[in-house]
Amino acid sequence: MDAATTSRPRLEVRILSRPFQPLALLEAWQSQSAATAADSPAAEGHFIGRVRGSTASGAPLEALELEDYPGMSETQLQAIAAACAGRHGVGAVLVVHRVGRILPGEAIVLVAVAADRRGPALRCVAELLEELKHHAPFWKREWSGGHGTWVAGNTPL
Amino acid sequence: MASQQSAVAAMVRVRLFAALRERAGWSERSLPLAADGCPLTPADLWRQLALGEAPPGQAAEFPATIRVAINHAFAPADTPLNPGDEVAFLPPITGG
Repeated sequence: MDAATTSRPRLEVRILSRPFQPLALLEAWQSQSAATAADSPAAEGHFIGRVRGSTASGAPLEALELEDYPGMSETQLQAIAAACAGRHGVGAVLVVHRVGRILPGEAIVLVAVAADRRGPALRCVAELLEELKHHAPFWKREWSGGHGTWVAGNTPL
Repeated sequence: MASQQSAVAAMVRVRLFAALRERAGWSERSLPLAADGCPLTPADLWRQLALGEAPPGQAAEFPATIRVAINHAFAPADTPLNPGDEVAFLPPITGG
């Protein structure tokens, strides 16, 4: 194996149609990063996004529906993860995104990055999240009072 | 047989998602590529299928808010299509 191969970042992208426990997935991902505690990456950045309990107009939210474009959504997430990992020189990236009907409080997205320093780890998480919010094909529909409304755009940063 | 195969191949698959799908009332169609020698583009399909909100008879410009994907990759709306391509019209993305 040459140096280029061994330094390639480890990328893991998953689209899930069932509820997931972000901390359990994070723990499993961390255990794959290092055979021993001493091998652990020096820095990790994590982001967990959850469904808020109200709609964009302030009404109580019953559920959020997430639609994807099977095939393209995963391809785009992979491409975004690879590009961000390359730009920041990080060692590993995990991206998990929910689809289907998601209840308030449930996790919708998990992004984790392992790197040698906090700067690249945190910057890569933030950039990857913004990239996926704008360039990975997913669409949200808010359900409230029995009516579904497609969300027109992303919430402010 | 050969002509049958080329007829099948000279089709494009069109897919719609989310609000766009519900406004149009369909999610997927197969259409023949234009046979007049002029290569068909996603913007042409948009007008042919009357996917815009302009009143009937008025040619709608391709909206800046809609993105196009050809075979799962983003592409400009004026990209010439090839037989067998899958074209998707994507309303504003709201994931994450």
